[in-house]
Amino acid sequence: MRREDLASRLSDVEQRLRLRAPDEVMQLDRLGSLHASRLSFVRSLVRQMARQRWQISTTRFELDAEGHGVAIYRLQTPQARYHGVIFSQPLDDAARSDRVIAEAWDVTFGVVEGDVDDSLLEQMAANVPLQEAGRQHPRLLVLSRANRSLRNFAAFLDALCAGRQPDPAWLTRVGYLYRTTAVYGNGKFGIADFDRLKHNPDFQRPFSTQMLAVYLLRHFSIEQIEHMARARAPGSAVAMAAPLRRYLGIGNSTGLGMAPFLINHPQLIQRWVESREKALAQVSGQVPGEPERQRLVALVARAERHLAQTVTEDSEQSARNRETASALPAVRAWLEQVPLAEELWQELIDWSRQTLSLEAQELIHTLLLELYPEIVDPFEDQMGVEEGLELTPDMPLVRLKQLIETHYDWALRHDFGDPEERYWFWYRSVEKEEPRLGVRDVEPGADRELKLAIAPRVADTHGVIDDFLSAHPRALVVEFLIHHPRHKDIIRRIQSMAETPFGEIRANLWAREMKPMHLLRTKLSFFGASRFDPKSDRWVRITLFQGAPLVEELNAEPSDLIDFDDWSFPLEPDQDAAGTLKEADAQPRQHAGANS
Amino acid sequence: MKVSYNELQGLCRKAFQAMGFEDGDASDAADMVAWMQLYELGGLAALGRGLDFLLADQGERPPELVYSDGDLAVLDSHGASVLKSSTLALELGFAKARARGLAVIKIRHCHNRQLIMGYLARLAGRGMNVTAFWRNAQAPDGEARTAGAEQAAATPLIEQVVGFRAGSSVPEIRVYAVHEVPEENEPNDGVTLIMANHVDLLPSLRSEYQLDLLARHQESDLLACRERAMQQGIEVDDGLWAQLKALATRLLVESTEASRSGAGAGTHDND
Repeated sequence: MRREDLASRLSDVEQRLRLRAPDEVMQLDRLGSLHASRLSFVRSLVRQMARQRWQISTTRFELDAEGHGVAIYRLQTPQARYHGVIFSQPLDDAARSDRVIAEAWDVTFGVVEGDVDDSLLEQMAANVPLQEAGRQHPRLLVLSRANRSLRNFAAFLDALCAGRQPDPAWLTRVGYLYRTTAVYGNGKFGIADFDRLKHNPDFQRPFSTQMLAVYLLRHFSIEQIEHMARARAPGSAVAMAAPLRRYLGIGNSTGLGMAPFLINHPQLIQRWVESREKALAQVSGQVPGEPERQRLVALVARAERHLAQTVTEDSEQSARNRETASALPAVRAWLEQVPLAEELWQELIDWSRQTLSLEAQELIHTLLLELYPEIVDPFEDQMGVEEGLELTPDMPLVRLKQLIETHYDWALRHDFGDPEERYWFWYRSVEKEEPRLGVRDVEPGADRELKLAIAPRVADTHGVIDDFLSAHPRALVVEFLIHHPRHKDIIRRIQSMAETPFGEIRANLWAREMKPMHLLRTKLSFFGASRFDPKSDRWVRITLFQGAPLVEELNAEPSDLIDFDDWSFPLEPDQDAAGTLKEADAQPRQHAGANS
Repeated sequence: MKVSYNELQGLCRKAFQAMGFEDGDASDAADMVAWMQLYELGGLAALGRGLDFLLADQGERPPELVYSDGDLAVLDSHGASVLKSSTLALELGFAKARARGLAVIKIRHCHNRQLIMGYLARLAGRGMNVTAFWRNAQAPDGEARTAGAEQAAATPLIEQVVGFRAGSSVPEIRVYAVHEVPEENEPNDGVTLIMANHVDLLPSLRSEYQLDLLARHQESDLLACRERAMQQGIEVDDGLWAQLKALATRLLVESTEASRSGAGAGTHDND
């Protein structure tokens, strides 16, 4: 029997009944504990590429011995053709910075819709390396740049030149040769608006072009270093072994710049979180068989080993990883001991909630989603939305007040007069408009505050509405606004978001105890980030596509799409005494519902 | 130079915030300008013409509701730009039309009237039929009267009608010159709007007066403009763009060593 035959989709009513409460899901510390899942954008992209037989080929590879020059990759989908254009240039060590305020990078690149003729290439060569300072072409869908991990790059190059495989432990410490420091889409610096892709079935999901750009860079990083090794040591150089290539991802270094997006796109966040929650609700109601149980045990074992292999210098994140990994043997024991009840998955979720840390709970949810691709995967098409916050001017003001008290009660729980509750302010710096946090009444700039903290605005508006209603109990929203126009923005948001409970992050972003890192992780988990490595409470390095199928595997048109898609929580390849690498095997990979 | 729609909208929003617009007004005004530019209706040129006025207008006097009943309202903008003062008047009309089927709104004494179109598009998107009418220019008051009918005909009165069908993202627009200036020729710097829940109010020229059609934009032409903008980018004037950028920097906060260290990675990342 095939796995999908065992699963059946719950009714919408039952799905709704099983949804977790927004007040639980949208807490910042829980969102900051999310892991990448099969609904993350990197996973969706790889599945789509395999399902639709996308093909990637090299059309230009003109690099010198140092790896500097131009490479162009062609992507052919059933619909259209695209090109990834990568410029690699020398970079002085003094200029290598991961910050948005940097002005030069090891590689800069873009993804173009359609073909790249000489004039476009010339235009790109003059502008793409400048990034924000250039004027980019409207056929560019993505603009990005990346810096080398110098230590990994040197170690890999030395090993390949010497004719041996690099030690995979290098990639366990830092899982990439390059890390991106920004991946721009949606019209930035003159590139194409996202709207241009609205009717393009290749890239309708949010961030799918950006993820493609990163995937192409990963392929380039392999090809480039092998080329450099051959150029430097033509007699002895070897290619990277396949398990190591697969274990190689692309890094990303991210700071507070991600935070405004999460607050400024509540309808999109609603879709991301709601889709994941609906998928989890569906899974929680599935009746498991023994194969599913064994599959989950195997997945837990793999995640356990992956976490044990995850290295970070951040003491808090290290402790969180240790705590999660150490809880997982108990999860496996629980799974193996309890009877195979109809409500096993719901019982597991309930037991985790009572017993495990937030990160471990969310890990269990991520792994549960792996069990039922047929039920979970369709939710990936729900991730996008046409955004627009609109006023309902004819709503009775008293109704708006009720909406706030019902759906934004979390925003009314704080005392914003308390210095601890109004400690931070958000602003943009003159340095490339980088978003930053300042201490109110201590650092300059509070007069130019970015209004990212929603809770104090809602509370303020609620107070003013309350006063107005006592004199005008039958007023409409628009009548209130004519007297108090400065509340238009937040009222429009409240009215648009009240019925969509997973869009607002339920935290006071002014509060001293607020952890910006949780905001970054929220977004990164939906991208599909692993190896979460905070470098302070305000910036983090992560890895994307580590363990993902390679371009050559994609081009070979895989027949087993389920196996092709099974690359989460990658493990360090095993190396035998002779130095031969093979894929790690945490547990026998047993697919639930596989032919039995 | 060419810019993207998102870039245009984003820069305008920041520039309006820097000019002291409240957040909601800044994003609405940016949408209004960007909308007109997207459809090649000269949004940025209109903004450019009104920019000095906007910068000089630091008045905090909000639009005043002069008269209101169930399906009619008159507001006085006190000479402010529609970018700053019209959206709530339009929302009031929307609320009245929802309740009564049809509403008429008159906004008196407003500036930059062309730019109101973008917000009408938004109301149409919410299912309202909307038509706006204003007179762009007219014979200079005293001169025309004293110089007689002949000279008045040489400086025609220009009227503009913009009509959105409910649910449509683009309007039908008619701009025409009226040669026979009526006897009553008070200065007119207002906009009159009609909103209806259930009936289209699209402009269709039928007049016994002598009219010269100056511009006619059909829904299909405008959709083609949008497609062109998405494919090729949106042309903007370099000087105005630089001016908006300079305005937007007013919102940025000076950098200090402390702020730099707290925001992200190091300035050297050679690891």
